[in-house]
Amino acid sequence: MWGKIKNWLEIRIGLDGLMKTHLTEYRVPKNINILYTLGFVALVFFSIQVITGFFLLVYYIPYSEMAFKSVQDIMGTVPYGWLFRQMHVVGSSLMVVVVLFHAIAVFFMGGYKKPRELTWIVGTFMLLITITFCLSGYLLPWSQLSYWATTIATTLPTAFPYAGEIVAKLMKGSEQVSGITLNRFFALHVMLLPLIISVLVGLHIFLVRRIGISSPPFGKSPEAEKPWTEYRHVSHPDGYSFFPDFVLKETIMVMVFCAVMFFFITFLPTLLLPEEANIPADPFKTPAHIKPEWYFLAPYQMLKIIPNKFLGISLQMIIVLLFILWPFLDTAEENNLLKRPRLRWLFFVSLILWMVFTIWGKYS
Amino acid sequence: MLTILGLTAVGSFVYPLVRFLAPAGGKAEAKQITLKKSEIPVGTAKEIPLNNTPAIIINRPDKGFVALSRVCSHLGCLVEYDKIRNRLICPCHGALFDLEGNVVSGPPPKPLPKFPIKVESESILIG
Amino acid sequence: MRYILPLLLILILPPASQADWKEQFEKEFLARPWAGPQVPQDVCIECHSSDMMKPEARDIPRKWETSWHYQNGISCHNCHGGDPKDAENAMSPQRGFVGTPKYAQVPEFCGKCHVGILKNFLESGHGKALKSSGKGPNCVTCHSAHDNRKASINIINEQLCTKCHPYERVKVMKQALFVTENKMNEIDKSLKELKTEGVFTEEEEKNFFSTQAQFRTLFHTEDVSLVRRQTDEFVNKLDQVKVKIQKTFEELRFRRDFSAFLMMLFVGMAIGFWVLSKNPKE
Repeated sequence: MWGKIKNWLEIRIGLDGLMKTHLTEYRVPKNINILYTLGFVALVFFSIQVITGFFLLVYYIPYSEMAFKSVQDIMGTVPYGWLFRQMHVVGSSLMVVVVLFHAIAVFFMGGYKKPRELTWIVGTFMLLITITFCLSGYLLPWSQLSYWATTIATTLPTAFPYAGEIVAKLMKGSEQVSGITLNRFFALHVMLLPLIISVLVGLHIFLVRRIGISSPPFGKSPEAEKPWTEYRHVSHPDGYSFFPDFVLKETIMVMVFCAVMFFFITFLPTLLLPEEANIPADPFKTPAHIKPEWYFLAPYQMLKIIPNKFLGISLQMIIVLLFILWPFLDTAEENNLLKRPRLRWLFFVSLILWMVFTIWGKYS
Repeated sequence: MLTILGLTAVGSFVYPLVRFLAPAGGKAEAKQITLKKSEIPVGTAKEIPLNNTPAIIINRPDKGFVALSRVCSHLGCLVEYDKIRNRLICPCHGALFDLEGNVVSGPPPKPLPKFPIKVESESILIG
Repeated sequence: MRYILPLLLILILPPASQADWKEQFEKEFLARPWAGPQVPQDVCIECHSSDMMKPEARDIPRKWETSWHYQNGISCHNCHGGDPKDAENAMSPQRGFVGTPKYAQVPEFCGKCHVGILKNFLESGHGKALKSSGKGPNCVTCHSAHDNRKASINIINEQLCTKCHPYERVKVMKQALFVTENKMNEIDKSLKELKTEGVFTEEEEKNFFSTQAQFRTLFHTEDVSLVRRQTDEFVNKLDQVKVKIQKTFEELRFRRDFSAFLMMLFVGMAIGFWVLSKNPKE
């Protein structure tokens, strides 16, 4: 039966050849490590967000008078609504974690170097779009937490003179965060951003496949020896097969991260949904300890401590620009971070600084 | 072994999904209540439970019948009809509502919910 | 690397030449609550906590800050009238200022808001005594004027009540209230617990508050037989709320168990796939 179906497809699309090229005879480097699975894990988590997001969309009402109640209905009345909402909330934070890990791993292994600069740039934009997803989605439950965290986030751009005001007004759609803001964030979150990121994901995967998977720089890598003057596809004839060996590794990581997600849903269901998340938005009353969500804490804290606000925000913009254009700033041939003490130092210091700012932002 | 786990996993998502998407049971239907017009003379009001909420039907001298929820939108106390001042008063913190349910004064943030009402020749249909 | 300096210059120089937006930003951003502690703008508090006041009166704003009124956003002008934003007309009768009520007028003063309780109090022995002879307890006797606390059964105690009469009749009333008050405390605690577990309890809270308020208002009539007669009704209502709360706790337990089950499934699959990867089928 199965064979008959395969034969039917083989005659029409050459299934055998496709499976060979893309699955069984597609090879990954012999010294590939588990960190290479993170990209796929990010893709899976994105799919989880899309699927749970769709199911939430079935019951969510994007009107400011009804948004909060519709979310509470999902949590309390609709059977198993709580499950999908929790998966969406915890999944979104986990997705940011996975994407950050993926970016750090790629950086650590020099996967942004020639000829993969374009892949890196597309990836950085994907990170920024993920953060925008988080920002826009956060407002949708219309709770005190949503409302005030969004007020902070949409006021931050005003640190930039003139243009900042315009950006902030454009984001809010009105003087203060209001139902108008809700509507445009909803449109962004549910339609525009998914379209953009789907295109970027397609581009990113195409680039990875077309150029070929990079080898981890630790150990011998024949890649670095030949100069890049014309296109060639990087292949690893002595490596593992993508399917089933590497796919198995990817599946394990997906299972591990899903287990982590359910760990949080089981034992820490209120970690990302504190009390303010269960109080309807009140534009006239600011809760005592409102803070942006954890992934925004570092920029938030940095903005608070730098005495000149404009310097604060332009510093952050410059950092983002450096991040995007990094492959053009680091054009050294050496791929192995362990052999580059200054870059290694810069890398670890930036990571630690980011963590320090995040923790400081939480407790200040 | 793995297939069992996998199938269980798929099943444990499919079952909640089906329950999630299935239409709600019959309890979503609200019950209608019929009252005789003569039961509520002009200028008076009658307190009745409507869909498990305490409600009040007022026969206003100028605008006819109206059905409002008695649950004050401040903290939930039950409002009472003040015939003389043509207002609904909440005994807990002195909130005043007009006979449309709008807040006149006091702490409530929102007006009183109204119930749909249909007036016929001899009777009133509420809900 | 060599593009960084010009990039920095282009980004920083032109906007840095604009100086006044900095104050604007500070006003908009730093002055907001999230940037630090919020300062209330109440002229009443400013004067009444300053050295201009008599020492006894200077303590009142501090006392008020410990009160249940303060926690619910009720401040000076809500009871005393006047204008909290305008220092010149803060105590002007045109802005509704009524000053301090006379001893026998205190019930009407508090009854501006606490309408139901005023009605019941005036029908009670205490209320009638106050109105006829000017002697007797008013609201402040039991509840204190500025540092009032959330009502509890312990306001009724031997020290306070025996100032005017023997405690026996008070004991009878306290006993009549006891069971209901206990139930209400339990429900209050459960509702708080549910809130920390992330449940939205508005409907139950409203229901509970309404019942609690009705019961406490009733008490102010001091009619023990009335309280006893109505106790059953109240206990029934409270039991219904309790049942709902129990159901919610059970639902929370089910959710935890179900997601723990899902977690174990994924852990199991991770292990299964890992084992599979170590024993490849060639």
